Amino acid sequence: MSRKSTWKIALGVLLALAGVGAGSASAAPLKIGYSDWPGWVAWQVAIDKGWLKQAGLDVQFQWFDYGPSMDAFSAGKLDGDLVTNGDALVTGSGGGKGVMILLTDYSNGNDMIVGAPGIKSLKDLKGKQVGIEIGFVEHLLLLNGLKANGMSDKEIRLVNTPTNNTPQVLASGQVSAIGAWQPNSGMALRTVPGSRPIYTSAQAPGLIYDVLYVTPTSLAAHKVEYIKLAKVWDRVVHYINDPKTEGDAVNIMARRVGLTPAQYKPLLKGTHLIDIAEDQERFKKAPGLSSLYGSSEIANDFDVKNGVYKTPQNVDAYIDPSITDAVK
Amino acid sequence: MHREKWFQVLKPLSARSKLVLGLLSFVLPILIWSIVSYVPFVWHPQIRITDPGSVDYLQVEMRMDKAAFADEVSDALKAHRAPPRGVASNPIYLPAPDEVLRAFYVSFTMPPPTQDGAWLSQALWHSIQIIFWGFVISSIIGVPLGILCGTYGPVARLSEPFIEFFRYLPAPAFGALAVAILGIYDGPKITIIVIGTLFQQVLIIANTTRKLDASLVEAALTLGARNPQLLRRVVVPGVLPDLYRDQRILLGWAWTYLIVAELIGTSSGITWFITQQARYQHFANVYAAIMMIGIIGFGTDIVLAFLAKRFFPWDRSLEKMA
Repeated sequence: MSRKSTWKIALGVLLALAGVGAGSASAAPLKIGYSDWPGWVAWQVAIDKGWLKQAGLDVQFQWFDYGPSMDAFSAGKLDGDLVTNGDALVTGSGGGKGVMILLTDYSNGNDMIVGAPGIKSLKDLKGKQVGIEIGFVEHLLLLNGLKANGMSDKEIRLVNTPTNNTPQVLASGQVSAIGAWQPNSGMALRTVPGSRPIYTSAQAPGLIYDVLYVTPTSLAAHKVEYIKLAKVWDRVVHYINDPKTEGDAVNIMARRVGLTPAQYKPLLKGTHLIDIAEDQERFKKAPGLSSLYGSSEIANDFDVKNGVYKTPQNVDAYIDPSITDAVK
Repeated sequence: MHREKWFQVLKPLSARSKLVLGLLSFVLPILIWSIVSYVPFVWHPQIRITDPGSVDYLQVEMRMDKAAFADEVSDALKAHRAPPRGVASNPIYLPAPDEVLRAFYVSFTMPPPTQDGAWLSQALWHSIQIIFWGFVISSIIGVPLGILCGTYGPVARLSEPFIEFFRYLPAPAFGALAVAILGIYDGPKITIIVIGTLFQQVLIIANTTRKLDASLVEAALTLGARNPQLLRRVVVPGVLPDLYRDQRILLGWAWTYLIVAELIGTSSGITWFITQQARYQHFANVYAAIMMIGIIGFGTDIVLAFLAKRFFPWDRSLEKMA
């Protein structure tokens, strides 16, 4: 008898510990993971200004490192996570199935291939080594750039390098270029004087979209809330883009990541924030980078070709335009 | 003559020389750090730009190698353009002691970055709680199990081979698994500390227990002590001072797992501060945070060592240590 009750207590404790985190209960707040990328830090404006509460929303934004945020999403501990469209497919292929319901931004220059001093274009990289995190967005950016320059990926050699370490790797002189996003790309430029961006996401706008990626169960249960959340996002984008309020917005965002507003502004410039009107356009099915569908197909091909996952994902199943369409 | 005085094998030092040497062990590294930081010709391999002159890609506060800087200056002079100016400096990853000291102060007095954020002291307190609970949970299991393993052969054979195996498994590798089971908050972080500490703890404490003076057990047996009594009255009190010392070492062990533990799930505690500052190369803040951990860990240990003298006044090995 006593042993039985001990088991019950142990089980109870386990369930309490495990159950609290699962955001499936309808009374619990929505939990959304966000990390250090300007298009996501932008949510801080809504959080600090109390716009979520004003809209009658109970949403908790949880600050993560990017990698762990995807782990938590895959484990079913978050309702939604802010990721790139390519990483949404990768997460989904690994069992963290979800739906992209809102575009926050696309990278418009923040992702860069940075050439060492003396390297002035992608063509100069012929036969040289490039430090890049293989299978991730910068790899995709590099391949896209090579294609645009009529080169093949056989003409360069890749050195697998964690994106966080790219500034030091470029400084070591052991590679001729690196691929990284901000702040790492900016750090590389500052660490290695004479280095310059030779290809950036501004030359391939829409190659890297950033999205709100939510679990299908949460989407089904909280459709109304997500529509409200999309409206709040629209407000955030206009607040940041309006020259009158931009300063206040940049202050909030810079504080979140521990930079001065002056240091933060260039990072924001390399990100094209997407309001709801533009969202609705980009959620229309079309080939090419101007549509989320077309861009995700390109990412899908890339992932399969590079062995990130084996079976191509059904991109249509990952995209749901109904939330942005419902915002008038 | 002097050499003989200093280097006598196993000869205890006087209280005064102990104090002086102890202080020197801190002063010397700081002295070296200061020399490297403040004496320009010692290292300073780079130039920190104060005025970019006519060189378009340079910015104020940018650092570049001396040779590259010299090239730019001579190029500019040849072309009759304004040369860049700068001062010799160390690489960005080696801030000077005063910068770190200032960062130490500033980071504590800086209000939280966002309305939902935490003061650094709160973040630090959060980290301390993670360590505390991780260590308590580990000890609740590890200390009794370790003593039992050390006392009874069958228990040891039944558990130690598996524990020996398990202790080689790297605790951080369980991160994603812990998140899947325990959620995104403190549960998985505490779990990592427990996994990192527990298995070493059982083995270390079992070994300590085995070192108990066999004559004590024999004497107790002669006096007619029975099994549970023997454990409670002889074994446990006999190993207690050593066990306490083991726990001190293990607590330090738990601290070393803090950073990996806190990287799991939501960003929190002192680790959030360190990773965020490192991402933007605010290395003075990073050093300050690392020092905070050092001060807290070392401070706790000094307190525990002091308490040991109160708890176990009969323990002679303490004199050798302190």
